[in-house]
Amino acid sequence: MGLIARTIEATGTPTVALNGLKDIAEKVRPPRTVHLKWPFGHPLGEPGNRAQQLVVIYYALLALYDVLAPGVILEPGWRWRRERYVEPHDWRMP
Amino acid sequence: MTTNNQDSLLHLLYQGVGQVFSRSPALARLWGSTFNALRFGETPFAAMRTPLDRARIALITTGGVHTVDQQPYDMNDPRGDPTFRAIPADIARDQLTITHDYYDHRDAEKDLNILFPLELFRELEQLQIIGSLATCYSFMGHIKPPYVETLLCTTAPQAAGMLKQDRVDAVLLTPA
Repeated sequence: MGLIARTIEATGTPTVALNGLKDIAEKVRPPRTVHLKWPFGHPLGEPGNRAQQLVVIYYALLALYDVLAPGVILEPGWRWRRERYVEPHDWRMP
Repeated sequence: MTTNNQDSLLHLLYQGVGQVFSRSPALARLWGSTFNALRFGETPFAAMRTPLDRARIALITTGGVHTVDQQPYDMNDPRGDPTFRAIPADIARDQLTITHDYYDHRDAEKDLNILFPLELFRELEQLQIIGSLATCYSFMGHIKPPYVETLLCTTAPQAAGMLKQDRVDAVLLTPA
């Protein structure tokens, strides 16, 4: 997936990639990565957990504006379960 | 052993390993630390200049999503399938399915937003939080040589060109 992100970014379109395997992101170096240590098949979290999914989306969209250097890997450190997620209400980006 | 038999055995092996990794993120990470991924020094970078409420966003997943009318990804070739499918932004959930034998996608079938958050982005579009949701794309992220080259030289550039043509401002990519 990092290879696809790199190819798109090279045409001038900004990308942000969710990632579950940091070692691979460190090698491939996608332009912007949000790393979450969550199981395969669950890049945005648990089924039915709308707040968790929206928090991940918000964070990834924010990375589009906040990351100013190529190859940055962000690690919010959220737990897969037993984390309290609150649906974002203010979506204004810097 | 015939090539077909070898391919079948490899498919079974990858399928089994993928299911184990789906259940054990720690094992998956161990595998990831030894995986012989392509290494790059330089990274392309394009600054995000469009405000979010005017931005045209596309989603791309490598989770093997496709419409029920599209040809499924090739599960007979253990080297994977480097092709991609265009997913209309307004497609109904019941018109989407997943073909990807190398991870456990039962939860994603229950709630596709955990893999390919099309419905959530449609909400963001309706709320004018994003400008618009563009046509999205899906790949099947189990790609081995010689298809890595096909991906890099042919199919990923094709998708990138389609995104440009559609005036997409930014892309969110989600893995399997």
